[in-house]
Amino acid sequence: MLKPKNDLLQGTLALLVLKTLARGPMHGYGMTLHIQLISKDVLRVEEGSLYPALHRMEQDGWVSAAWGISENNRRARYYHLTAKGRKQLAEEEKNWERLTQAVAHVLQFA
Amino acid sequence: MSWIARLRGMLKRDRLDHDLDDELRSHVEMRAADNLAAGMSPEQANYEAQKRFGNTALLKEDTREVDVIAWLDETARDFLHALRMLRRSPGFTVVAVLTLALGIGANTAIFSVINSVLLRPLPYHDPDKLVMVWESNSQHANLHNTVSPPNFLDWQSRNTVFSSMSFIFDERDNLTGNGDPEEVVVQDISTNFFSLLGINPLLGPGFTPENGQPGHNNVVILSYGLWKGRFAGDPAIVGKSVLLNGHPQTVVGVAPRDFNWFIKDGSHTGAKPQMWSPFVFPQAFHDHKQIGRFMTVAARLQSGVTTSLAQTQMSAIAARLEQEDPDFDGHWGVNVVSLRDQISGDLRPALLILFGAVAFVLLIACANVSSLLLARAASREREMAIRTAIGASRWRIARQLLMESLLLALIGGGIGVALAVWGTNALLAASPKNLLDLRYVSMDLRVLTFTVAATLLAGLLFGFLPSYISAHSRISETLKEGGRGSSSASRRSFGRNAFVVAQLGLALVLLCGSGLLIRSFVRLIGVDPGFDTGRMLTFKIALPGSKYSADQLCITFFQQLLARISAVPGVRSASMESFPPLTGLGAATGVHLLSQPSLALSDLPVANVRVVGPDYFGTMSIPLRAGRLFNAQELAQEKHVTIINQAFADKYLRGVNPLGQKAVIYMKSDAEAENQPSEVIGVVGDVRQIGLDTAPEPTVYWPHAELVMSAMTILVRTSNDPLALLSTIRNQLQQLDPELPMAAVVTMDQLLADSLSRSRFTMLLLGIFAVVALVLAAVGIYGLIAYSVTQRTQELGIRIALGAQRRDVLRLVLAQGTRLTLLGVAIGVLAALALSRLLGTLLFGVSATDPLTFAGVAGLLAVVALLACFIPARRATRVDPMVALRNE
Repeated sequence: MLKPKNDLLQGTLALLVLKTLARGPMHGYGMTLHIQLISKDVLRVEEGSLYPALHRMEQDGWVSAAWGISENNRRARYYHLTAKGRKQLAEEEKNWERLTQAVAHVLQFA
Repeated sequence: MSWIARLRGMLKRDRLDHDLDDELRSHVEMRAADNLAAGMSPEQANYEAQKRFGNTALLKEDTREVDVIAWLDETARDFLHALRMLRRSPGFTVVAVLTLALGIGANTAIFSVINSVLLRPLPYHDPDKLVMVWESNSQHANLHNTVSPPNFLDWQSRNTVFSSMSFIFDERDNLTGNGDPEEVVVQDISTNFFSLLGINPLLGPGFTPENGQPGHNNVVILSYGLWKGRFAGDPAIVGKSVLLNGHPQTVVGVAPRDFNWFIKDGSHTGAKPQMWSPFVFPQAFHDHKQIGRFMTVAARLQSGVTTSLAQTQMSAIAARLEQEDPDFDGHWGVNVVSLRDQISGDLRPALLILFGAVAFVLLIACANVSSLLLARAASREREMAIRTAIGASRWRIARQLLMESLLLALIGGGIGVALAVWGTNALLAASPKNLLDLRYVSMDLRVLTFTVAATLLAGLLFGFLPSYISAHSRISETLKEGGRGSSSASRRSFGRNAFVVAQLGLALVLLCGSGLLIRSFVRLIGVDPGFDTGRMLTFKIALPGSKYSADQLCITFFQQLLARISAVPGVRSASMESFPPLTGLGAATGVHLLSQPSLALSDLPVANVRVVGPDYFGTMSIPLRAGRLFNAQELAQEKHVTIINQAFADKYLRGVNPLGQKAVIYMKSDAEAENQPSEVIGVVGDVRQIGLDTAPEPTVYWPHAELVMSAMTILVRTSNDPLALLSTIRNQLQQLDPELPMAAVVTMDQLLADSLSRSRFTMLLLGIFAVVALVLAAVGIYGLIAYSVTQRTQELGIRIALGAQRRDVLRLVLAQGTRLTLLGVAIGVLAALALSRLLGTLLFGVSATDPLTFAGVAGLLAVVALLACFIPARRATRVDPMVALRNE
């Protein structure tokens, strides 16, 4: 599978998606907008990575999807977190904190 | 991972695909709408949304690849695509498939033989625990010497490594009543023989331990074949009586159909048994040790005991026996051999060599197909480049190409199995008697597993490099250069050159092997057997003791028989011998030359003892070297004279005039006093007794009257086809005694051919494989050169247009072929030098690195390869410059 070079770390993308969905059901396009907005344009989710990731998460049972109508009356596929997804989110958040703290320690020390 | 979700996905594949399309479309539409809202023009808005999305097809492929279903689906699509591609170039497909079928078929055929001879369990209960126990004498070469009954009894009582031991010795007996008299091979055995092997009779109770008691052993078990044949499968045969050598024996069983016990070493008859009968040791066997060695011994290891542990204990027992009776057991040890090694021992080296050879053939076939694929890949380069450009990943393309290879391999393998079934039958038909047992060679699960594995491996092997190169070609270059002269093209041509060199090298190794075997065989058939094998009929007569109880009766019978046969028109002369050449081992014993110091019996020089009839040496055309032949008186009565062969004189009487020497030949008894010394009256030429590849052994000849034997082989020298006289001679025999069967009827030429059959067989097979290898390698280099001529048409056209002579063009093209050929030959010679040692025991009179053979096959390969190059090279000289340039 070809990967765009500026892709986010695979695990990070899952964390971002899960966190985004923790606010409530959302479609793929909405997620890209949301992440871009909240991160003040620092993080841009590539469509080429998002949909395979969503698909995988759906198969792993973290999210489930259903067709719905978007804010401006379009058919869109909405994803929402499952119980399993919530647990996974907690897990990933913990991991992320550990990682950033570790990196911070290293930076302070040096 | 949730496999269930993925599997569920398989069931709703279509819906998923549809969903995904919709979802991606809605994404693009939403982005476009936002773009529009941000003030872009409609086209711009759409274009930007689409661009951000990139390659939707690729995205879909990526997203879908998450599924198992997707994977299966891709595979199925690859498969169909591969099928289409193969169908589109039928020429390529047919050549590749046939090449592979040849390679895989040959491998399967040889493996099925190896499987049945070396791998499949022997048809006995727990066969890994079965061993043969032999005596072996440190002063003679024979490691599988037959066993003396008293030693067997001592082994049996002293060992703790065997759970049971059986003895077996075979003989030919006359079966009379129920039809024509017939000579049958009977194995005399201990009553535990069948239970030791774990075999129950098909019918009847079989032998009981009581049958091992004197007076209770008049019972027999019939082989399935004898029961079906002579007794028409009589279901009530058990309890009936048959006449064996005139004595009634009760049938107590019929052996199972596939049951068979034949150990060539130590067999007196050299034939498979038709009947089994318990043998009771007479008291003498229990009393003292001076009983000849004539039995074979089979034993079953105790659980947990290995062959080497058994060997250790048996050697210790033998050492004690040697101390207790140095006269008889001096220098004698024990040799424990697993039954598997015993049975496959002779065949193993030849089979492994052949297996190596067919593996080479398969490698060459793979190289050929690989090379074809590379050539084809060149013409498909644009196809691959375009697929890459629109987003196919390298892995995707490699997978597609590998699928084509596997498909080729599978079709080739399927045809190969059919070829193998046919080839195995041909193999068995061509194989010498007694070399392979027809019933046991067949396809089974193991053979099929092997074939499938070989097929897949071959597919990956020949598919790997072409698909790797194609998958790594650079798109931009390919598209720019219009598919010609790209970097992958140069990698490909390197690959093809390497394959051709490898093929030539492998072919040369096979050619060397087969060349060496052919040279050995020529040497072998050039060996003088020491007598004239042409136009000679041989058959065996065994007189039953019940009717011919006295020596004189035997002497008279054979005299009359030979007189009658000699009188038959077309018979030049007739004689007889106890153990004629080329029929296996015969009697041998210690000989004490009175001019030399007296030694213990076991330390005496050993010589074969042959009992012969009148005019034996004349009939056989064995030349007299010194002294004289037997006269009429010596032939009629015990006159204590003997004729020795040259080998005896050379080995034991070096520098002494052999004539007049007196020798005690320990044949009639083990006590010197009971053996009158015989005077040497003549020396005759050597005869290759065992086979052409075995040096003549010291031999003494006695007239029949000196040692009367009831079983003799009649030798009839005829003026024309010996078999044409068979019925006349049979008539003469029946007039003399209608009850006597003629056994083992065969011409001496046939015996000679049989003795060579194994060498001929191995030579023939390896020769066939070598020729296949040669042809494949020639096709390989031909294909390469032809392809490169096609590729270089323009260049050649320009050269010709600029004034190059045909000769120059020829030289240009041939130079390429010559370089590859020389490199292949050089590598092949080095590999052959390293590998030909493996032929070892299969060679006769030729060194494994015989320079003549190596030079010869290297020359042959070079000539064939260059001829193969010559065809396309000549085509190159006919390139029309106008046509070539116009094509640009």
